[in-house]
Amino acid sequence: MKRIRDAINGVDLRRFRFWLQLFFFVLLVYGGYLAVNLGQYLPTFSCGFNDAGRGGICYLLPLQHQLAMSWRTLFGWAGLMVVQGFLFFALWFFVLNKGWCGYVCPLGTIQDWITSLRTRLGIRYSRYTEGQFRRLTLIKYLLLALMILIPLGIGGALLPHDMGTPFCDICPGRMIIPMFTGDFSQLTIDFSTKTTTVMTALGLLVTGLFLGGAFFKKRFFCFFCPMSALHYLLSKPALLRLKKDGAKCTRCGDCYRVCDMEIREIADEVKDPRIMQDDCIMCLKCVATCPEPGALKATFAGITLFESTEQGFIKRMNQGHNDEQHPH
Amino acid sequence: MNSTPTDAAAPAYNRSRQAREAETLLDRIEDDFPDNPQAMRYFYDLFRNVYCHGEPVRHQGTLVGTTCIHAPEELIYAFGATPVRLCNGSYHYDQIGADFMPAKSCPLVKATLGSLHAKAAVPNTQSLELIVNPTTCDQKTKASAMMEAMGYKVHDLELPPAKESEEARLYWQRSVRSFALRLRELTGRKLTRNNLKAAMARTARAQAAFRTLHQLRKSAPALFLGKDAFLVTNAYFFDDIDRWTEAVEQLNAELRSRQTEGFQAAQKRAPRILFTGSPPIFPNLKLPLLIEEAGGVVVADETCSANRMLYDMTAVDEWLLNDMVDGLADRYLKPCTCPIFTRNDDRQRRLLQLAADFNVDGVVYQAFAGCQVYEMEYRSIADVLAAQGIPMLYVETDYSPDDMGQLSTRIEAFLESLKTRKRNKQ
Ligand code: SF4
Ligand code: SF4
Ligand code: SF4
Ligand code: SF4
Ligand code: SF4
Repeated sequence: MKRIRDAINGVDLRRFRFWLQLFFFVLLVYGGYLAVNLGQYLPTFSCGFNDAGRGGICYLLPLQHQLAMSWRTLFGWAGLMVVQGFLFFALWFFVLNKGWCGYVCPLGTIQDWITSLRTRLGIRYSRYTEGQFRRLTLIKYLLLALMILIPLGIGGALLPHDMGTPFCDICPGRMIIPMFTGDFSQLTIDFSTKTTTVMTALGLLVTGLFLGGAFFKKRFFCFFCPMSALHYLLSKPALLRLKKDGAKCTRCGDCYRVCDMEIREIADEVKDPRIMQDDCIMCLKCVATCPEPGALKATFAGITLFESTEQGFIKRMNQGHNDEQHPH
Repeated sequence: MNSTPTDAAAPAYNRSRQAREAETLLDRIEDDFPDNPQAMRYFYDLFRNVYCHGEPVRHQGTLVGTTCIHAPEELIYAFGATPVRLCNGSYHYDQIGADFMPAKSCPLVKATLGSLHAKAAVPNTQSLELIVNPTTCDQKTKASAMMEAMGYKVHDLELPPAKESEEARLYWQRSVRSFALRLRELTGRKLTRNNLKAAMARTARAQAAFRTLHQLRKSAPALFLGKDAFLVTNAYFFDDIDRWTEAVEQLNAELRSRQTEGFQAAQKRAPRILFTGSPPIFPNLKLPLLIEEAGGVVVADETCSANRMLYDMTAVDEWLLNDMVDGLADRYLKPCTCPIFTRNDDRQRRLLQLAADFNVDGVVYQAFAGCQVYEMEYRSIADVLAAQGIPMLYVETDYSPDDMGQLSTRIEAFLESLKTRKRNKQ
């Protein structure tokens, strides 16, 4: 038992994540060809516009559709449908919590691939300043609010119908993910009406920003992602959890410095054991980079899955000094 | 001018005086205790060679002196140079250094200045080409100009006085970068991904060996004594890093076999002591030695001549030069529990955790007379320890041997009280 635990805690997280992310990417982007269908309430950007390959559908698409129904229907029987959809979404989410972002989301995975491309080219990353970070981190809530309010406005005939699914219009997933199955049709501006022209042009712009941004900034898009905001509202009761034992923490900041989402609390907070912050993508890089035994851990339904250990740290930070083994 | 003769006047006499100070201490360390680990032989011999026979400090390339743990040694190694920690523990040099500092100053700073001023100083660092002086406490900061006046090249490594804020972190990262530039100027070499990676691997291996040693001290009853542990970490100041690491790995192997044999280096009931405060630096191992001569055992420490110097390890996310250098900077700032920083809570929490992990019976807090920062943090440390019911002995002392008698009485009384407590608990 102890040996298994040591093996898990000593895992090369980078490699483990790469393969798991690849697996989920294939499942969600190409699964459709193998008749995989995980339904339409997935808490991750398994883009619905990838008609041929999708292995399930991103919940934001049906959500916007549903909310855009006329108010009469919405506040009548169809309301139940919305609630039911939301419950399915929440159930999926409760299993992995934000682990959906760190391990499953195709858009997240694409950003990580762009990051490894950059490091391979030997180009350094950029970071936000603290002030920028505090401001930018609010944008996702704004996007979430708009994503709900605009369809509601359409349903109430307050806004034009061609705003359809406003977030999908500007979501980089819509243009990028179908390309992986050879579908480049989303990569255009839809000139049918003024609104669609503006929205799809905006979409192109965001896609450009997504690709460029992710090249210089790790997980560039995730800072603004409304899905992430929606996740956070539900994350308290989820089964997968990130925990911290502040007494064991030396505040060395190692976890913070590897955090793609620049979450300072992960290092500095030593009182609250429930350390997950709204931007967290549960990549668990912090756990893998913490040298203090048991200071950080990921638990599932109360069972520890993966925790920080001295040996694990030394192994991962490697660079050729593993001849010494610890007695414990 | 002053009553202390300088080395310039009488080198032979002083060398022998300094040598005698070291010799007496080494004799006590070796002979007063039975069952010293075999692997300690390396360290005993090393100290005899360097301190008693005045052998020069081994080095490759340029020799760069450091006056505090905040100078990133990996950078120095990466430029093909060798760091040597100049913090000095000799009473003899403390007296010489008294010329430079006000009367009530820290003996560590005085001794460091004294040894730099002395001609045939030990450790023998004659070929020092640069001194890196991190701007830590006031006394060290002001020592820069004095060292320059002695003819040394000095680099002020600017350290922020607080370490919590992001501003402090970035300021320090910039400071470390300009230190790298200074090293480039000095050595005429370039910092590359590969040479830095290799340098970091050397330090990381040393740290891993240290951590193993540290963890082995959790064993109860103790597998070996704290006086030896301090000697080991003190050797890190000037020894060749790879040889040092190998010697520690050997010591670890021996201790591990002691562990399986059920060997006891101290009595079962020996009070387990956590040592904190001003750093014991050879030959001033007065206090740890007194504790162990009186039947206690130092099982862990929180000082910058041992644990604080070697414990914390560097994390890197992307092995590119920028992230490696920033990672190093973070490692030398963020986890540091030095009292020169504004807040005390990291040190408090570290001590509590060490006390719990090492099953400690009591804490001994050494404050050098004149080391204000440790004196000032005393209360806040005493308070948190008291709240947890951990007894603490606060000892204000310096490098002079005069207070030995009085100290040993106090230590004996403290250890007695710890034993009584232990008995009553059972
Ligand atoms: S466009 Fe974006 S939000 Fe819409 S379904 Fe695709 S991934 Fe989801
Ligand atoms: S935060 Fe990132 S990983 Fe998570 S859903 Fe949004 S894009 Fe995907
Ligand atoms: S890496 Fe671990 S010890 Fe360091 S700050 Fe993070 S949680 Fe604390
Ligand atoms: S806090 Fe940890 S799990 Fe969350 S994003 Fe940062 S590194 Fe990943
Ligand atoms: S006490 Fe602090 S400033 Fe002084 S040598 Fe130690 S770490 Fe450096």
